[in-house]
Amino acid sequence: MGTYAKRDVLLRVDGVGLSYGEACILRDIHFSIRDVVRPGLQQGQVLSLVGRSGIGKTQLFRLLSGLQSPDTGTIAIRERVPVEKGDGSIEMYRERKVQAGDMGVIFQNYYQFGWRTVRQSLLLAARRNKALAGKEEDAIRQYTQRFDIADVLHRYPGQLSGGQQQRVSIIQQLLKGSDFLLLDEPFSGLDVCVLDKVVELLLQVSLSDELKTLIVVSHDIATAVAISDTVLVLGREAGREGSTIVSEIDLMERGLAWQQEVRQEKAFMETVQEIKECL
Amino acid sequence: MFKPFEKINRQTFLILVGSQAAVALLMWQLTGGGLIPQPSRVLEALAQLSATRLFADNLLTSLLLTGQALFYSVVITLLFGYVSVIPFFQPVAQFIVKCRYLTLTGLIFIFTLLTRDGGQLKLSLLLFGIVPFLTTSFLSIIVHTPEQEFELCQTLGFNRWESLYEVIVVGKADQVFEVVRQNFAIAWMMITMVEGLNMSEGGIGTLMIKYNKYNDLPHVLALQLVILGLGLGFDQLLGVLRRWLFPYTKH
Repeated sequence: MGTYAKRDVLLRVDGVGLSYGEACILRDIHFSIRDVVRPGLQQGQVLSLVGRSGIGKTQLFRLLSGLQSPDTGTIAIRERVPVEKGDGSIEMYRERKVQAGDMGVIFQNYYQFGWRTVRQSLLLAARRNKALAGKEEDAIRQYTQRFDIADVLHRYPGQLSGGQQQRVSIIQQLLKGSDFLLLDEPFSGLDVCVLDKVVELLLQVSLSDELKTLIVVSHDIATAVAISDTVLVLGREAGREGSTIVSEIDLMERGLAWQQEVRQEKAFMETVQEIKECL
Repeated sequence: MFKPFEKINRQTFLILVGSQAAVALLMWQLTGGGLIPQPSRVLEALAQLSATRLFADNLLTSLLLTGQALFYSVVITLLFGYVSVIPFFQPVAQFIVKCRYLTLTGLIFIFTLLTRDGGQLKLSLLLFGIVPFLTTSFLSIIVHTPEQEFELCQTLGFNRWESLYEVIVVGKADQVFEVVRQNFAIAWMMITMVEGLNMSEGGIGTLMIKYNKYNDLPHVLALQLVILGLGLGFDQLLGVLRRWLFPYTKH
């Protein structure tokens, strides 16, 4: 697996809670994601959030994406801020509250504007990314070739397969240039062959930039463990209302992160079993 | 073919339409006579009408007025539809929607006072008749916009004005077209009514009232046939245009 180190905090969730009227949905959610550094590699972070259906995963997903605000607590991200110096520009970092648009969000059904062709949709996203100014078309060409959808650029979402729609959604959010990518149930309803491709795709994305951070919300425990470096288990504690993080599993510590054949390992199966028992 | 929800292909459907229309015409021909003219007489009247300059002129007048009314109606509807997402303008948009319960008959005198000539009177009556229905349909489309469309805009970092442009102005353009297509029937139906109110400029409605006055039913029914045929023709044309302009459209 090689050496690794955990550096700066990229995302901090502190005391987050959410209620609808009298019903408490989420409470006391605390966790953080740190920059994982591996020598000689551009290693991004992959965190999975697993839990049973109806436990509040999607609500937490919406809070993390900034589409909804928590009733209590804060969600903060580390932001790159370019600072001009005499001999050139350098990057500084500051922490601020997450807002809608900060994170790339891939919805469960890979929703896209039905009236835009793939190329138009991708262009909309690329134009938001200042780093791509003037090079939007090149970036679209590169990404679509890399993700094998260059031949569907002039099609509408309704003319794409589920797998193609998923890739378009991912590329769109990558083109937008956010360091964070939130995915809601990316493995649900996929057959085994497509599932392998999606896993490969996500790992490819996580290796595209040192600060690229994937947060995967899923109820598919085995796949989530196979692709992540950290797993958070969302569950309920006896006698208390509302869901919270009941377990945080560091897969790097257990030697289970970044391994292609991890599913064959005994420790992997034990970890999956451990998570199941937490639910 | 006789089972509920049975799916039939287009060819079978066309055969059904043709055969049922033929049976209806045959029954009309056999049972007609007396005051109600038979189809053959209506067709004769239609052929006679089609050969006259009077018919062509009146038809053109009606078509121009309908086109003009529809154009202004769409502009007004889009304007109030788009601004209806801004809370300040919602009461006005809702008032327009409620106006569909008002009858034109009671407002003719007021419109006569407010307009300068017969042409303006007819146009304003048509607008008053069409806009509330168009606005109702358009607002319904806006209200039923899936939340995910706005959320995708948010995740892409759009501000609210950009979201309005993307989701409502661009995203709903094909549905606006469909609303216009559906409501064209209202405009076309009303044209004969408003032309009856001011006959100085002619029109197919004026022509029909004149034939009605002399109980010339073959010509009245021939004109109805023209109105029906043109209505169906425009419906088809707008459908084709919609599919051409918005290839992603489902219907």
